[in-house]
Amino acid sequence: MREEIPPGTLDMLILKTLARSPSELHGFEIAEAIAAFSGRVFLVEEGSLYPALQRMLVQGWIAGDWGRTDDNRRARYYRVTAGGRRQLDRAVKAYGRVTRAIAGILELSPMEA
Amino acid sequence: MLGTLWRRLRLLVSRDRAMRELEEEMRLHRELRAEALHRQGHAAGEARSEAARRFGHTVRLAEDSRDAWGWGTADAFWQDVRYAGRRLRQRPGFTGAIIGILALGTGATTAMFSAVDAAFLRPLPFAQPDQLMTLRRVNIPSELRMDRPVPPIRSLDIDHVREMRDVFSHVAAYASGGLNLVDPQRPRRVKAGVVSGDFFSTLGVQAVVGRAIVAADGVPDAPKVVVLSWRLWQTDFGGRDVVGTTIPLNTARYEVIGVMPRGFSFPSESDLWIPMSIPVTAATFEPFRGYLPSTVIARTAPGITRAIAEARLRTAWERVVAAVPREPGRRMSVDETLDVVRAEGATTPLRADLVGDRRRALLVLFATTALLLVIACANVTNLLLSYGASRARELALRTVLGATRVRLVRQLLAESVMLASCGAAVGIIIAPFVLQVLRTLMPAQLAGVAPVQLDLRVLAFATLLAVGTGILFGLWPAFGATRGSAVATIKAGGGHGASAGGARRSQRLLVGAELALAGVMLVGAGLMLRSFERLVNTDTGLVAEHVATLEMSFLRGVPQEQRLERLDRILTELRRLPGVVAAGAVNDLPLRGGGGIGISVKVDGAPPAASEEFPRYLVASDGYFEAMGIALRRGRYFSPTDGTGSASSVAIISQSMAEAFWPGRDAVGRTFLFGGDGPPVEVVGVVADVRESGLEEDPGPQMYFPARTNLDANVALVVRGTSGPADLLPALSRAVRSVDPAQPVYNVRMMDEVIGKSMAARRANTVLIGLFGLLALLIAALGVYAVTANAVAQRSREFGIRAALGATRSDLAWHVGGEMAVVVSVGVATGAALAWVASRAMAGLVYGVTVHDIGTFVTAPVMLALAAVAATAVPARRAMRVQPVEVMRSE
Repeated sequence: MREEIPPGTLDMLILKTLARSPSELHGFEIAEAIAAFSGRVFLVEEGSLYPALQRMLVQGWIAGDWGRTDDNRRARYYRVTAGGRRQLDRAVKAYGRVTRAIAGILELSPMEA
Repeated sequence: MLGTLWRRLRLLVSRDRAMRELEEEMRLHRELRAEALHRQGHAAGEARSEAARRFGHTVRLAEDSRDAWGWGTADAFWQDVRYAGRRLRQRPGFTGAIIGILALGTGATTAMFSAVDAAFLRPLPFAQPDQLMTLRRVNIPSELRMDRPVPPIRSLDIDHVREMRDVFSHVAAYASGGLNLVDPQRPRRVKAGVVSGDFFSTLGVQAVVGRAIVAADGVPDAPKVVVLSWRLWQTDFGGRDVVGTTIPLNTARYEVIGVMPRGFSFPSESDLWIPMSIPVTAATFEPFRGYLPSTVIARTAPGITRAIAEARLRTAWERVVAAVPREPGRRMSVDETLDVVRAEGATTPLRADLVGDRRRALLVLFATTALLLVIACANVTNLLLSYGASRARELALRTVLGATRVRLVRQLLAESVMLASCGAAVGIIIAPFVLQVLRTLMPAQLAGVAPVQLDLRVLAFATLLAVGTGILFGLWPAFGATRGSAVATIKAGGGHGASAGGARRSQRLLVGAELALAGVMLVGAGLMLRSFERLVNTDTGLVAEHVATLEMSFLRGVPQEQRLERLDRILTELRRLPGVVAAGAVNDLPLRGGGGIGISVKVDGAPPAASEEFPRYLVASDGYFEAMGIALRRGRYFSPTDGTGSASSVAIISQSMAEAFWPGRDAVGRTFLFGGDGPPVEVVGVVADVRESGLEEDPGPQMYFPARTNLDANVALVVRGTSGPADLLPALSRAVRSVDPAQPVYNVRMMDEVIGKSMAARRANTVLIGLFGLLALLIAALGVYAVTANAVAQRSREFGIRAALGATRSDLAWHVGGEMAVVVSVGVATGAALAWVASRAMAGLVYGVTVHDIGTFVTAPVMLALAAVAATAVPARRAMRVQPVEVMRSE
């Protein structure tokens, strides 16, 4: 069973992926990493990664530099910046609050109904 | 925050590179995915398509990424504009036609707007101009000493108005006339404002150098002072310090006391201002033929509205008129004045007064250009609709490829706004030419305060017009073209579907409307042309061909005896010339513009006239009537001895005067009293009525007195020759110089030119309305052509089938023509009906015809219908030539 990525969480996932990676990653590697860590639960329209990356570049949360892949192809490698780590922190906390709240409602709902 | 902005700016600057990098990144991603899938056992081709599917819609993703850069709207806008530019360049003929049509519409409207702006919208350059008004018929008391006594004028005096301090804070008077700026190198004519001492304080305008004319300058026998306009100061005095110096005007020296600010030259483009004393003395008007028509203006006191001022003035008028001593049963001129005041009001807002009778002409012309613009827009909508139908397939394809309807509409609108902008840009190039013609039509009084110009306001108007019209004529086709199912359109093969039929219906509606509006404009043009024709053929009472004229003012210190002697020598000199048939002189040249004087007369034993008559006072030398070609009805022309000895008091009168005072009887040999109680004057001849004040105004009674007793300083010489202006005009000036080399002359011109100038405003109006009507006709015909051609093109398959089934060529032509015949007849008939109602707005603009002139109402629709038929004929012939086989093959 594949699930859509919850709206608004893609940025957080990308930031988290970059933050725990020991090295810089290019776009395809980020997509593969998200898929692997999620246990292949998430269905990512892979292209949607790129508008998100552009958005975060503009925000200054990540930085990107052109480099070479192992088989010598040009690729842009991304890393998370200090600002990006702060943003990740904020996003994770916010996400926690939201999921706790949702969980609370879900627990109540059978009795309400 | 700043960092984000900085990164955005960098992306904006290097957006092409950023775009390339993004595409490279995304391509790499798809390649890597395809390779991974291939390794997992997919075939190479299958792997590539699966990679593409997983990646998603590349174009949309690229767009989303660009949106992330934060320049989304601007970016999409530029993209739309570039796309539109590309599309339009692909069809240069279509694009050129639309831009041309729009340029005519916007150019005319822009020029007209600048005229309307000057006449009605732009504030006058005075302090609180809304408080200023012109007071109708208020009299300025005078101590004029004329050769003959003038009866006292009983009227509301400017002094009465000045006493109404609670109503008016300022009251002033002005007049406008010409003066000779005497200069041995370059003697020239300048326009002088003759203004009372409180004129400038009433307007609230101050001098920029020195001082303006003040109350102390406006009393009898005050020192002669002059205030210069900024323009005269710059061009003739080089902007030097002139205050305190004196300049020679006509025969006297005036001390320069100040310079007015740039752009101020009220009234009538004045070059300078000299004081008018109140009461007016002979000295005030001595340089201007002894008389100038003067106007009284006032500024309301704080808190006083025009309605209050109007009511108070009417009360004052009633009181004055009631106090006039009168003979029982006789109406007096003051009664007529009161009637006028009652009918038209005692006050007019200053601006309305300056615009005067041109108001209607300007508004009608503005309405005409607006109509032209509407027709142009309707036609462009029409062309875009046919274009839209033929590109339905392209739009459907783009919808399938992921373009949203909003985006498509936006792109189509970008196209139309771009077309409109190009049209407006070309229009702005055309506008000055229209404006050149328009200038003649502008109220002369306004020229000095609100000149017509293409300024920022007008440019802003043109820009708004471009965007507005672009959206206006673009919306319909854009929504029409993007409506309907994309799949259906593609299946139908494009251009044959249901939406094409809808577009055709819209087109017929638009063409009908175009024809109706063009009909209205053609009727307007027709009425103007007929009026002009009538005017040109009006009997002026004189024969202008081969008549040369010149005006001059005798210099100071030349007494009447000497003036007469010089005039005689000049006339003798002229009559000696070969090719000169007759030569004479007159005080007021007919139709030259500017007022004349009417003086009341009394006839012994004549039935008391219903109202007081003021025949126009004219002074003519012997030879004048012959030179001007004024026909003699009875009696004789002046002889060289008239005005001397026993023939000292003789006059020649016009036919109208003879009929007014001696109805049904021979006026020759009868006498009348000049000024009501002057010495008796004997009528020696009756001549034709001459149009004096304007070609369109019926000449009233006129009386001519011999120059020998009445010659004043200003005269116009009139010479009838057998040759052209090239010989006559120099000969005329030479004759004056040979008698007195220092005598300045002006307005050396042929009489034709004088008449032409008096018709100039009407000519300009006729040319513009006629031209716009013709353009409307052409544009509407083009619209008919476009619709028919489009219908034929879209239905070629149907015609092919009909032809294959045995329809003859004329059947097909009638099929096409019949459809258009309905549109054309409904459009033309609607136009004629609309014109019947709308032409009432032209009352006062037509001359010699009624606004419901039958000839025009027949000719104009017929012309329009003929043009429409001609425009249908070309595509209809094409329908006739449809070859069934070719049509089938092309499917």
